[in-house]
Amino acid sequence: MKNLQLLFIGIFLLLFAGNTFSQDLDALLDAETKPTIDFTTATFKSTRIINGHSVEQMKKNQLEFRISHRFGTLNNGPYGLFGLDQSVIHFSLEYGLKDWLMVGAGRGSLNKTYDAFAKVRLLRQSSGMKFMPVSLSYFTSIELKSIKFPDRPAGTSNYFSSRLAYVSQLLIARKFTQNLSIQLTPTYIHRNLVKTELDQNGIFALGTGARYKLSKRLSINAEYFYTYNPNSKSLEPRPYNALSLGVDIETGGHVFQIMLTNSQGMREGSFIPQTTGSWLDGDIHLGFNISRVFAFNKK
Amino acid sequence: MLVASLGAISQSKFISKNAYISFYSSTPLEDILGESNEAVTILNAETGEIAFQALMTTFHFKRALMEEHFNENYMESTKFPKAKFNGKIDGYNSSILSGPVNDIKVTGILSVHGVDKTITISAKLGLEDGKLVGLSNFKVIPENYGIKIPSLVRDKIGKEMEITVKANYLPFGN
Repeated sequence: MKNLQLLFIGIFLLLFAGNTFSQDLDALLDAETKPTIDFTTATFKSTRIINGHSVEQMKKNQLEFRISHRFGTLNNGPYGLFGLDQSVIHFSLEYGLKDWLMVGAGRGSLNKTYDAFAKVRLLRQSSGMKFMPVSLSYFTSIELKSIKFPDRPAGTSNYFSSRLAYVSQLLIARKFTQNLSIQLTPTYIHRNLVKTELDQNGIFALGTGARYKLSKRLSINAEYFYTYNPNSKSLEPRPYNALSLGVDIETGGHVFQIMLTNSQGMREGSFIPQTTGSWLDGDIHLGFNISRVFAFNKK
Repeated sequence: MLVASLGAISQSKFISKNAYISFYSSTPLEDILGESNEAVTILNAETGEIAFQALMTTFHFKRALMEEHFNENYMESTKFPKAKFNGKIDGYNSSILSGPVNDIKVTGILSVHGVDKTITISAKLGLEDGKLVGLSNFKVIPENYGIKIPSLVRDKIGKEMEITVKANYLPFGN
């Protein structure tokens, strides 16, 4: 490194020796500018692509307050104002402990679920001095359904542990161009208790997500979670893979995400294994995520 | 003192690799302040030519989101990674380098966001505690450099940006 710099300076000195008036200061500065690692930023606009997490982190000392809504299904028709009469809400506080580590906790009205998560950035896409083709993060969460258990036959009992589900995800993303970013999200979810014997406790899924920027402040997003060992199709209601389409609109400190999705759940433990809406049947929920970021930097 | 001054003049170039550049804009909603301590600058003591370069990604903000928007939405740092200034001190006389800090004018080309503009700025240059320092404070209008500010955030970003520059020069090349 040092040697290379000295070599450059040497070359310039040689080139320009005895010709002090035509020296190009700009070229000298180019040689003096340290080569840098150019980390890719803003692969996605938000920490979520739509429902699922993206590789984006809350930076250190930044707190995000998120409010998300999913309305009822469009096939409610005009009587139910296309689903707007019903809504499921989720809100959360999410904080960057380090630039590479964020944590968050929230609560959703679907099954009265509490959740807590951590997301760790392992690799950052970069060019320049160091080439790294993708960004890689690990996401893990725990979800607690606090909704009352249904009545049980006498002599049997409910356990607290039955309320819990665990999620692990690898988030692998690449910003291909300024406008196009794609993410793969291998996922494993374990639920301690499932509804019937036909349900799987452990679910493997692969999420894919993409965003395309239409302008600097507007992007379209798509997200699909394919479940490898889905719950039995003979269940009622029948499980479907989660498909969501949305737009991100950015205005200063806010990002608005508006989407159409067949899932009403907003956390991995619900929308991946428990999406029961079908796009073809019109079980499509209109929804939005709104976030506001607060900075707590001492400066 | 005389010897030291002569020694300084005999250097043909001065450099600073960690010059400070900030831009600031105050609005009713919030202040925007971006700062870099990694700008590089060279001063040619024989001709009075002066050059600056700063990588856009070295500017840091209090709000991480602001920094992201700065690079993504306004400066388009991937397309235009550097801001540059190449100019010459008006009516240059090398004796100002060995005197106390004095007002000067510098005329040159400021290139930001891929747009070149000829500007004249007021600055100060001279010895402070035996070291050559350069200071400047001037205003630029982002829209002159093709940096569009949408009406939606118009009131969050001032029309003018105040640029502050501070450089401590060292002899270059030995």
